[in-house]
Amino acid sequence: MKADVEPPACPKRGARLRRVLGLGPAGAAVPLIWVLPAVAFMAIFFVAPLVDNVARSLSLAGGFSGAPTSALAAYAKLLGDPYYLEVLVTTLVFSLVVTAISLVAGYPVAYFLVRKSGRYYSLIVFLLVAPLLTSIIMRTFGWRVLLARRGFVNSILMDLGIIDVPINFLSGPGVAVAGLVHVLVPFMVLAIASSLQGIDRQLEESAQILGASRMRTFFHITLPLTLDGIGTGFILVFMLANGSFVTLLLLGGGSIQTLPLLIYQQFTITRDFNLAGAMSNVLLISALICLVLQLRILKRRGVKGK
Amino acid sequence: MTRLLDLLRNPADLLLPAFVFLFFVFIIAPIAIVVWMAFSAQAYIGFPIPAYSLKWFYRIVEYEPFLNSLIVSIELAIASTIVAATIGVPAALALARSRAGFADGLATFLLSPISMPQIVLGFALLFYLSALGFGVSFTALLLGHTLCGIPYIVRTVLGVYRSQPADFEEAAAILGANRWQVFRYVTLPLVRPGIFAGGLFALLISMDNLPISFFFGSPDTNTLPVVLLSYTENQFDPSIAAVSTVQMLLALLALVVVDRVYGVKHMGAPS
Amino acid sequence: MSKFTRRTILKVGGIGALAAGMPGGLVSPRALAEGQRITVTAFGGIWEKMIREVMVADYEKRTGNEASVLIGGPQQWMAQIESNRENPPIDVLMNTIDLALIAGRTGLAEPLTVDKVSNLADVPQPFIDIVEGYGVLFTYGAWGLAYHERVKNPPKSFAEFVEGTIAGKWRAALPNAGYTGTPQILIWSLADALGGSVDNVDPAFEAIQKMKPNSVFWTGISDPLIQLETGEADVAIYVDGRTWAHYDSGATWIRYINPEEGGVMQPAIAQKVKNGSDAAWEYINSLLSPGPQAEVAERLNYGLSNSKLQYSDKLKERITPWEKTRFPPFEKTGTAQREWIERWNREIRA
Repeated sequence: MKADVEPPACPKRGARLRRVLGLGPAGAAVPLIWVLPAVAFMAIFFVAPLVDNVARSLSLAGGFSGAPTSALAAYAKLLGDPYYLEVLVTTLVFSLVVTAISLVAGYPVAYFLVRKSGRYYSLIVFLLVAPLLTSIIMRTFGWRVLLARRGFVNSILMDLGIIDVPINFLSGPGVAVAGLVHVLVPFMVLAIASSLQGIDRQLEESAQILGASRMRTFFHITLPLTLDGIGTGFILVFMLANGSFVTLLLLGGGSIQTLPLLIYQQFTITRDFNLAGAMSNVLLISALICLVLQLRILKRRGVKGK
Repeated sequence: MTRLLDLLRNPADLLLPAFVFLFFVFIIAPIAIVVWMAFSAQAYIGFPIPAYSLKWFYRIVEYEPFLNSLIVSIELAIASTIVAATIGVPAALALARSRAGFADGLATFLLSPISMPQIVLGFALLFYLSALGFGVSFTALLLGHTLCGIPYIVRTVLGVYRSQPADFEEAAAILGANRWQVFRYVTLPLVRPGIFAGGLFALLISMDNLPISFFFGSPDTNTLPVVLLSYTENQFDPSIAAVSTVQMLLALLALVVVDRVYGVKHMGAPS
Repeated sequence: MSKFTRRTILKVGGIGALAAGMPGGLVSPRALAEGQRITVTAFGGIWEKMIREVMVADYEKRTGNEASVLIGGPQQWMAQIESNRENPPIDVLMNTIDLALIAGRTGLAEPLTVDKVSNLADVPQPFIDIVEGYGVLFTYGAWGLAYHERVKNPPKSFAEFVEGTIAGKWRAALPNAGYTGTPQILIWSLADALGGSVDNVDPAFEAIQKMKPNSVFWTGISDPLIQLETGEADVAIYVDGRTWAHYDSGATWIRYINPEEGGVMQPAIAQKVKNGSDAAWEYINSLLSPGPQAEVAERLNYGLSNSKLQYSDKLKERITPWEKTRFPPFEKTGTAQREWIERWNREIRA
């Protein structure tokens, strides 16, 4: 069967154009109706609980514990207070930084994985996902051992005479960024790799035969063809970074204040669930706005690339 | 040998492997410390390690909650990934090439669960599902984890499917394949890398999930991250490192088996 | 092993029911053994082992009933009870004092009386008053100062600790706004030690601000142990029981002192969940029995509540008598902490 449909070496221009313009193929294999189960599931188990949560918070003014912020007051507080706006901006900027670093570091790794790893493919995939299989508590411990004042890195640097006084790695936002990139970069690498794998190598080869340098080939053929993978990685890492608090909590030493961190406090200490709910809705909406903006940019580039 | 000569002729070729090497030093260094710690003979977590022992691995077997919750976690990860894929893959395929104006909006909507701090989602789900009559149960856990898995599968499959031209399917249709045959023999193989990557993400995210599992634990359905967190509340011994090590070993084993049976590379590449 | 098979059967049943499209998984384990089996809570590790081997064992031997143990933390348990008020999945709750007060005031817990729990007669009154009667103190820890032996002149009081940290004599490990106990063990404690009160925590905030350059902050309760060892900190605000447990596990470099002002009382409160099984009363009776309590003290190095309890000589040296601890005004810190945390976020940013 597969042999019967062996693709032409170079896809037809017409089909590509149709796709880029969003017109879709003539005979789409999958009808749009297939999206229904997912949408229904999300409506029942995502939207409904959140609506239920808001409804409960409205009906329970002063319910849980003394006098929590009323639901409306919570939004007023969040949107009117420069402090919370600053935290929101910090959250988004922090996530963007983590995502950008993951992209720059992850692309070459994805490229290596698909093109050069050969029989070490599984091993590399394993190494990539290993951090995610390690308890966060232990991961944090690993960083501490490496980066503490009397830790490995400082000892080595001091033994080598590079520094005299131990560097204080563990306070400041650097270690929080590193800790988050460490666990999120696998998403970037695997997302890019899955789209790199789909590229027809012959396209790159023909470009080179026609005299394009390897750099030129990469930037004009390979990179544009993996934009969808980059998009996937970007979105996943950005959204994950936006919602994560455990790494920041354990590694950041509190040097960065983000909304998820404040939300966590509402659950563990102050029990102001209304404020927590409001914060998380504000976070969700701003993340979605960022996402739409990013997709726009990505799409425009994508069209230009082709 | 010829490869080596190639490298010498073109030193720029060394840049990529060198970068990848440094990247993996960064990835592995903290994890290596954890694995090393698992073999410590000391009764608390700390460096340097005075002597080595396997006793913490024995402790995993001996301390019932570790093993029980590990089993629950694995069952849950597999079950939720399967459900999420069953729901998510068709949705991604339908959305990827839809010309409907709302398709992009819908795709973004399906991603939204991951941008929300899961503690909020877990809390809301607990009250909601409790009102429906199954608050603290394996079913509730399964629903929560499935919800978190769907975005990964949708997004990766969507990304991969979009980067494939429609020509293959058109050609198959022209050659006389019916809709089902096109789907089974052309579309599915095309998006296999996406399903593999997305499924892997969903599995890992489920195994690592604390904020949702946390709200749904019962004596019989507690997951490993919840048990580990609670364990450290009063104790800080290398058994936590040993559990992480075993988890990694299991993952390695799974990858090797998948590789032997299907070939991971093969799973990852459309053939 | 028999436990495992039961669990498997339940689960298979649950999935089967789900497949049939019925909310069955759903039939929580306790519903299957209605009446005989209660669910009690425990922190993981040695705590859970103690609950299972000492308390549950005692309860099962005396009553012939069974009890299963839910591992986790108080926030999780509270949410589970709040969301299932009519049919709570937990019968006896081990709670933090903050949440215990809320549970009492919002009708999640039942008041304890001597005719239901006979051992309550031997518990000092403050241990019942502390939760307004809606439960009882089971164990307590005192939050004083732990330090590494390399510190030659350790502080003897909180005031001295603050002063020395500001002067750079040592580096301090302080809990941050992510740790549940911070409002009491740090903010109230320092305010009280430095001349403030629950209504005036300015002295505490000023002190923390000045200590910040010479301090590291932590969220996870095990973190200070690593921070002390790796040199990130030399002196930590820490709890006596955990310090001794760490010492016993081989970290013989660690020391603990109860500061002159007195360490801060941090109780673990046992509560009977409203609408939970009445068999729970007898379990609480086990929790308060002097025999089992003595065994718990040996295992955990924490103080317990039964006044008939005799500690061994080793424990007498270690356990801070409750009369020498400071009780924060818990009913006030509970409401004030919301404001404190917000102030912390804006001012301290750690």
